[in-house]
Amino acid sequence: MTSTTTELKVSAFLAYKFIAKGNRGTTLLTILIMALAFVNLMFTTSVFDGMGDATEKQVIDTLYSNIVIEPADEEIYIKNPDSVVKKIINVPGVIGTSAQYVTGATIAYEEQSGAWSIRAVDPADERTVSLIPDMMIEGEYLGKYDTREIIIGTEIAGGHGGSLEHTSLGGVVVGDTLKVTFTNGVRREYRLKGIFDTNFIQANQLAYVTEKEMESVLGIQDMASQILVKTDTKGEEDRFLTQFVELGVHEDIKPWTVYAGIVATLTQSFDALNALTGAIGFFVAGVTIFIVIYVSTVSKRRQMGILRAIGIKESIIIRSYIFQAAFFAVCGCIAGLVIMFAILVPYFIKHPMVFPMGDVTLLIEQKAVITRSAGLIISAAIAGFLPSWRAVRETILDAIWGD
Amino acid sequence: MERAGQDTIIATRDLSRTYTMGKVQVQALKNVTLDIRRGEFAAIMGKSGSGKSTLLHQLGLLDTPTEGEITIDGVEISGLSDSESTRFRLEKFGYVFQEYAILPEMTALENVYLPAMALGLSQGECIRKGMDALEKVGLTERADHRPREMSGGEQQRVAIARALINKPKILFADEPTANLDSASSKQILELFRELNRDTGQTILMVTHELEDADLVDRVIWLADGAVMDREG
Ligand SMILES: Nc1ncnc2c1ncn2[C@@H]1O[C@H](COP(=O)(O)OP(=O)(O)O)[C@@H](O)[C@H]1O
Ligand SMILES: [Mg+2]
Repeated sequence: MTSTTTELKVSAFLAYKFIAKGNRGTTLLTILIMALAFVNLMFTTSVFDGMGDATEKQVIDTLYSNIVIEPADEEIYIKNPDSVVKKIINVPGVIGTSAQYVTGATIAYEEQSGAWSIRAVDPADERTVSLIPDMMIEGEYLGKYDTREIIIGTEIAGGHGGSLEHTSLGGVVVGDTLKVTFTNGVRREYRLKGIFDTNFIQANQLAYVTEKEMESVLGIQDMASQILVKTDTKGEEDRFLTQFVELGVHEDIKPWTVYAGIVATLTQSFDALNALTGAIGFFVAGVTIFIVIYVSTVSKRRQMGILRAIGIKESIIIRSYIFQAAFFAVCGCIAGLVIMFAILVPYFIKHPMVFPMGDVTLLIEQKAVITRSAGLIISAAIAGFLPSWRAVRETILDAIWGD
Repeated sequence: MERAGQDTIIATRDLSRTYTMGKVQVQALKNVTLDIRRGEFAAIMGKSGSGKSTLLHQLGLLDTPTEGEITIDGVEISGLSDSESTRFRLEKFGYVFQEYAILPEMTALENVYLPAMALGLSQGECIRKGMDALEKVGLTERADHRPREMSGGEQQRVAIARALINKPKILFADEPTANLDSASSKQILELFRELNRDTGQTILMVTHELEDADLVDRVIWLADGAVMDREG
């Protein structure tokens, strides 16, 4: 046997004995603290990952679907959107398309008014790319032949506890008449047909009319500001982009991520916060391990002196403490994961956190688990090394007989 | 001089150890020159504070002399690095301390075979050699017991078995019976006597019990850190 394997074996043997036959209470308490440190590390990450996930889902489900086709450069509209849709509708994985007009407008009710974005859709098509038709909380979604009827999100309607209540119409209800002034100067009155709530602050600031209605407002036909495309998978948008280009789509094709700037901004500000809580978590875990190992080296000072006297190398002793520290950390990570999956995740599924991007539950990403547990184990190993390294600095005689 | 001859296992020349405590210097050993023969059972005796432990620590490579030379088994000790010295102790020395210095987390057998494990022996060999050593000290039945389940005398015998496991060239013992009742003390000394007689184990033992002098081959008397002339 090589000397390194021998040393590792002796270190592991010592560590095993100290843990298995040492003080149960200390061991359990240490593992519990490690578990809490791990949960603390994972919790913020999981909330942020959950927020990111919720935002992504909302952006896709309520704002942009998976892929957006926009007019080519210099153009205002896509001409003959049906021909574009025909090119791509048979691509495997494409499960829906919706050509939309998008325009700005001032919407007013009595004294209240504000500027919002209005989309015009074919309701049947829209159902294939958006979940908003299923999110009506008052009234109904648009019908294909509706004219002079409008549906709006809760942030426009007001009265639903939205974050932008002060800029809303102050609590309009289905049947109210809204005065809409389009950017081209056309003014029309609409009956409020329905109000939807997506839980997403962005989508709740949208208003919808039918395609028919908008074409009469704009005085154009067979055009679109954008075509939303729904695919059956998320994350393969680039593949579809290439295929669409190959099929002769000359318009601007973008994946939803381009519009999800909001996700990126959120994540970036989270990253700093996340790094800070992470650093604190690693520090707490490290200090805990340091204290536990320090106390152990102090109480075993004489015994370790005797082991050194009878010829056990210092590196073996140091490594046995590093092994103990790593063991505590590994058990802590496992116990922490159990706490996360058995208690916290189910709890937040039952009681989601309410954020502007909607209901958020914990999302435990494998990458986060790996980096956080590796970080915890490394800080534990360092924290185990320091006191044991310090302990073997003193002479053998001082260790055995010193005071 | 024939001091480093075939049958000499330890030879010292002008060995001194001075402790410095602030401005005060304590000369614990003064120019000690002595030989220990292979197979000898020698006792180091003298009043408390005469330097017995200090001498044992120098010979057992647990401390570094201020001056002088030590040759053990033909090796000039001052030339050894720290890790060579550690290896030397593991392979060639066995120690028994005054306090029963065994690990409470391990069974008697595990305590005993730890030094064999550190030499790279397999689990099977460790257990076999450990049981042999326990048999020598008469503790076969206690193999799986933890120290807290054993008497002081038994724990000290575990420490002796541990000291013997790697078949040391020299067994060092510093007042091994000081904490034991007279019956246990007698048992330990007889064990040493037997080991020396039956296996030719070299033993260097510090003791302050005058009656121990009758059991050993030779007594090295220390007074104020120096070896006294009247040997034997
Ligand atoms: N670490 C030390 N620092 C200072 N003085 C010491 C130290 N160790 C021993 N001494 C002194 O050296 C002398 C010899 O001590 P020691 O060898 O322990 O004596 P013995 O074992 O014979 O009782 C004593 O005067 C003791 O006080
Ligand atoms: Mg002494």
